[in-house]
Amino acid sequence: MSVETADPPMAPPDVDRGPGLSGYFMVRIAFCVAVAALCLLPFLMVIAISFGEKVEGAGWHFAFDLTNYRRFFVGADWPNSTSTLYLQKLGWSIYYAVIASVIAVVSAFPFTYFLTRLTRKAQTLWLVFLLSSLSLSEVFIVMGWDILLSARSGLPMVFQETGLTQWLKDMGWFDTLRDWGLASPRNVKFKTSVFATVLTMSYLVWPYAVILLYPALSRLDPSLIEAARTMGARPWTVIRTVVIPSVKLALIGTVLLLFVFLLGTYVAVTVFAAPAQQTLAVSIYEAVRGATLNAPFGSAQAVVLLVTAVILLVIGQKLSTAGGKG
Amino acid sequence: MRRLHWAASLFMGLAAVVVLMPIVVVSAAALNGGRSMAFPPENPTFDRFVEFFVSEPVWTTALWNSIVISVSAAALSVLIAWPVAYWLWRANDGLSKVLAGLAAMPFALPPIVFGVGLGFLWSFTGALGQMWAGVLSLAALFAALPLVTISIGLQSIDKALLEAAATMGATEGVSFRTIVLPQTIPYTMSGFFFALVLSFNEFIVMFFVSSSSYATVTLQIFNSLRNGFTPTMAVAAITFITVSVVAFSLVARFGDLPRLMGADTTRR
Repeated sequence: MSVETADPPMAPPDVDRGPGLSGYFMVRIAFCVAVAALCLLPFLMVIAISFGEKVEGAGWHFAFDLTNYRRFFVGADWPNSTSTLYLQKLGWSIYYAVIASVIAVVSAFPFTYFLTRLTRKAQTLWLVFLLSSLSLSEVFIVMGWDILLSARSGLPMVFQETGLTQWLKDMGWFDTLRDWGLASPRNVKFKTSVFATVLTMSYLVWPYAVILLYPALSRLDPSLIEAARTMGARPWTVIRTVVIPSVKLALIGTVLLLFVFLLGTYVAVTVFAAPAQQTLAVSIYEAVRGATLNAPFGSAQAVVLLVTAVILLVIGQKLSTAGGKG
Repeated sequence: MRRLHWAASLFMGLAAVVVLMPIVVVSAAALNGGRSMAFPPENPTFDRFVEFFVSEPVWTTALWNSIVISVSAAALSVLIAWPVAYWLWRANDGLSKVLAGLAAMPFALPPIVFGVGLGFLWSFTGALGQMWAGVLSLAALFAALPLVTISIGLQSIDKALLEAAATMGATEGVSFRTIVLPQTIPYTMSGFFFALVLSFNEFIVMFFVSSSSYATVTLQIFNSLRNGFTPTMAVAAITFITVSVVAFSLVARFGDLPRLMGADTTRR
């Protein structure tokens, strides 16, 4: 990208030294301000309001008060008693997001590798398919899995009808499933469970995983693989020693990006997670729009979520620049 | 390397089945004659389609809102992204990098935080619950997508062509109209369609900025969730899938989709 080679003849049209220049400049400044107002101001407001104070009723006013953060980290009644309720919610947010993003990347990696070995035309068709499923709203995906996992018409019914439930009972594995909370006395049961939540979340980001891994895998030099093959390496050895090391950074970067994306998942968690296992996103919603109506506390929770996301994005950035140099 | 091992093809096929499973189930549920989301459908009928597109005002209004908001938001996001991408390409200075970073930020961070912030912003300016505020919100959220596609398009322009034009006395305005614009139109359209489809399906930000004073289709579905799923919602799902497939097929038809997604173009 030789952007710096743009020479004097390419200067902006209105650089006729005079009112034209300042007009162009003003427009540019106004545009910058508008973009900043739209993209940055909302985040700044969340941060500012997180220090605010709730007023009895549904209102609040600006203040500089750390009560909300204290309530988040040690509970409202500190130092008399300590409550880690909200830290646990953050813990659940991270737990679901980590497992779901790792599952998505691990299963998307071989898929994407095979995809890049196809012809250009086949790749285009697959990409249209993946992009279409990727753009589907969280609401629909949850709706689909809700039907699939529901006791009456979904997979549990399939388990029952095909005799799989009986087989599980005969093998003695049914009790294990019950211990995991994945079965009722009579049949398997997937709602509500960590399993259903993680499954839906990894489904949500799976197409993203493919799209994010795609550039790295499709730029992989085929002669490298051919060379390893002609030297007698078995396919699995090639993948392990050539492919994975050269896309390691892309793999880690993808996990981080998907993780950040999943931190804020709302619909899947409200539908599939048990009440005691719900996340910070649900609690933010409750505080800002839902039952508890405490905008400053909701903002404080949002700031914690934001900071978690930024830390991980910075780590990802550091990793990729370090990898670029090395 | 052209032919895949059968196990690889099997794996890809299985992945496609899993991706399709919930989509197929939801779509099939639209054919239910009754009010329940049975699968396989009971008393198959197309009545739900009539309800969704014609006779139920709740759904027709929501659909119209969705169309108006997503088309305007996508157009606006392209209008925001173009100058940012252009400055980044031409100047590549500190200010343009900061600006590009700002425009990409809402998309990179958890949308629920951006949604909460926009809710505050609009309630301060008195625009909470106005449709134009919703349009601005989605445009800001998805400006990152046309920003990326337009940048890819601009980088594909041969600098020698621009230099030749300049030597022959073309001003920046002229070379912009005759070289830059025509070559980047497919990329601009792709960015538009990406933003369009994602705005159409957006839920969480819309939820905070609409403040229940109007509903898009996704919001309407979420509002109806507490009464359980109904087959009419499934028609909405089919509509969404159709819009996405059509939009991305258009992108693939008029642009180079593998290249847009970052494939190496030097290799076939």
